[in-house]
Amino acid sequence: MAQDLKIRIYSARQISIQEPLQESWMDAPLTYTDGYVRAVDPDFKQFVSAGDARRMGRLLKRAIATSVSALQEGGVDMPDAIITGTGFGSVENTELFLDALVREGEQMLKPTQFMQSTHNTASSLIGIHTHCHGYNSTYSQKGLSFDCALYDAWLQFRMGKIGSALVGAHDEMSSVFSEFMRKAKHVREGEICSEAAISVLLGTDESKPAYCTLDGLKLLNRPTSQELSDAIHSLTDGCKLCGVMTGMSGNRENDSWYGFLNELIPDVPLLSYKQIFGVNFSSSATGLYAAACCLKKGQIPACLTRNGAPVRTDGGILLVNIVDGRHYSISLLKSLCGNY
Amino acid sequence: MANDRSVLITGYGIVSAIGLNVSEVLDSLLANRTGIGSIKYLKTGHTEFPVGEVKLTDGEMERMMGIAPGTPTTRTALMGMIALHEALASAGMGAGDIEKAAFINGTTVGGMDKSEQYYLDFIENNSHDAYISTHDCGSCSEMIADRMGRFKYISTISTACSSAANAIGQAAAMIRLGDVDIVVAGGSECITKFHLNGFNSLMILDHDQCRPFDAGRAGLNLGEGAAFLVLESRESAQRRGVKPLAVLSGYGNACDAFHQTASSPNGEGAYLSMTKALADAGLNPSDIDYINAHGTGTPNNDVSESQAMRRVFGTSLPPVSSTKSLTGHTTSASGAIEAVICLMALKHGFIPANYAFENAMEDCVTPVDKVLKGVSLNHVLCNSFGFGGNDSSLIISRAE
Repeated sequence: MAQDLKIRIYSARQISIQEPLQESWMDAPLTYTDGYVRAVDPDFKQFVSAGDARRMGRLLKRAIATSVSALQEGGVDMPDAIITGTGFGSVENTELFLDALVREGEQMLKPTQFMQSTHNTASSLIGIHTHCHGYNSTYSQKGLSFDCALYDAWLQFRMGKIGSALVGAHDEMSSVFSEFMRKAKHVREGEICSEAAISVLLGTDESKPAYCTLDGLKLLNRPTSQELSDAIHSLTDGCKLCGVMTGMSGNRENDSWYGFLNELIPDVPLLSYKQIFGVNFSSSATGLYAAACCLKKGQIPACLTRNGAPVRTDGGILLVNIVDGRHYSISLLKSLCGNY
Repeated sequence: MANDRSVLITGYGIVSAIGLNVSEVLDSLLANRTGIGSIKYLKTGHTEFPVGEVKLTDGEMERMMGIAPGTPTTRTALMGMIALHEALASAGMGAGDIEKAAFINGTTVGGMDKSEQYYLDFIENNSHDAYISTHDCGSCSEMIADRMGRFKYISTISTACSSAANAIGQAAAMIRLGDVDIVVAGGSECITKFHLNGFNSLMILDHDQCRPFDAGRAGLNLGEGAAFLVLESRESAQRRGVKPLAVLSGYGNACDAFHQTASSPNGEGAYLSMTKALADAGLNPSDIDYINAHGTGTPNNDVSESQAMRRVFGTSLPPVSSTKSLTGHTTSASGAIEAVICLMALKHGFIPANYAFENAMEDCVTPVDKVLKGVSLNHVLCNSFGFGGNDSSLIISRAE
């Protein structure tokens, strides 16, 4: 069992509140003042036929677009595994079905809306689209959903069952559900309630170009400070860290959860991405996508740093995602440039 | 590093239409007593559909779990707590053991039972806002886990009707890799108007008692329930001094990659999930002594699964039954409920019956139509297939 297994990130693609399927946000991020912002969609025609597109909700179209785009960039036709994280699944169809059920009663309900309301439709549709019979799974654990999916891929790689995995995070929003997100404190004061579709292609082939490596991942529920410290040290010992990608958002309660980092790794600059991509159940995937882009480019752009100055990425970026102050996901991405 | 990577099963708990605990479920299986009947607990206009309900109100479950009235909770979470409580007790797990264990739950419906009740309140006022926080699948797993203690990791798998099987599969991976010593895995799902109507819109509900693999089958009956298995490394079980009940020896997961709600005619996904599980366990098809089929009772599933079983087993097809004919289709929980039934079959040496089966047909395997007692089983295979072609198979083996 290879404990020091390094998984490479071949590609990472996004549809979010930034310009879709590109990295212009690194230099010129779109900025918003509204509390609820939907994603900027690309032209889906290059990814799905008009007929198929009519039958698919937005979440599914975005999942296909980011998946196909990630597979193309990574030069993989069919991944060995397709694993998705989603907090709410297809909100649009869930809401339509639920609304009709509650307001109009138990007649005339639409099967397509029900089918698409199931959380695993993205993973299975990607399977159908790529004709992939391999490992296929879906996780739904609020803002930890993507981290759980990535952990599953990490397990499958370590067991030697797969050589590549397409790991995604797909969450869409509606105005009704965005209010629910606020009421349930999934999105807090000062945060933008947003949407995200992220597809990350990972694999073990060292001959392929890659953004960076994924060197480890630990998920913890209500850890003690000792458990947290052990987890971070076991991941980062011997690694030069050039930043910690946090889920800090400017909300005081949310940001207080990350305070321990100042004591544990005081000299490493704290980075944040939620001001760029907003907050949704797939947020942590936007953080990993952003970190992978930084390591590919060799630079953390000013828009992600606390002091507004860019940072050279000559080592690793630690990702720390904390959900509701209780679920902790800690992972390490490392630069492929030079010897670290 | 310990080289024994066996995944032992050291405890289990179950709540279903055929019993509120392990001993009641065992009695019902041995007596071939169905739990499917007229709708009593779910408030729906569709009383024409028989269902397999857990014979308790939410209030009764709250009292069983010592939950104060008015505490926001959901039926899925309550059933999960009851099954988890029994599983932990049967494995002799105390607070210290829970802190070293991971919890993986399979659910898709989550808190939809309350959301469909309070949806307009969520929109129009603040009277039931607490139930917005119990809507999503993840919150359901947190409620179940938190009631028992501090698990070191909580995760939720949502692959529709194979959710619990995949939860058990992931648990096995975590133990084999040494990430954690104990994982409690399974699933919980209550019947809601939302998915009763969803299945009805797909026209796959039988108006009568379901009859998996029968020539006259006309669809499935929804069920509800929860079940959890305690999976543990050998080293941990020895340290705690607990005896293994069985071994989780194989897991296979494949995607049919055919259609969102229909299975392929040749059952490719099912064929692959069974084949992968056999390879994972290092077993041959002829080693399997019993198959607990997915067997929903829909015309499509049963043909597709039968084709897949014939492709894998050829002439050495072991006895097959679908216990959904007794419990109803417990959707996301079914993988765990049926894994517990397989454990009981191994432990007590019997094969549960495919209730209500009458007429065989060429396209389907012929299931066991009465309880076979006094049999010795070494390896049993348990299938769970979900919408989207999320197909999974588990192999449970006798502990040496």
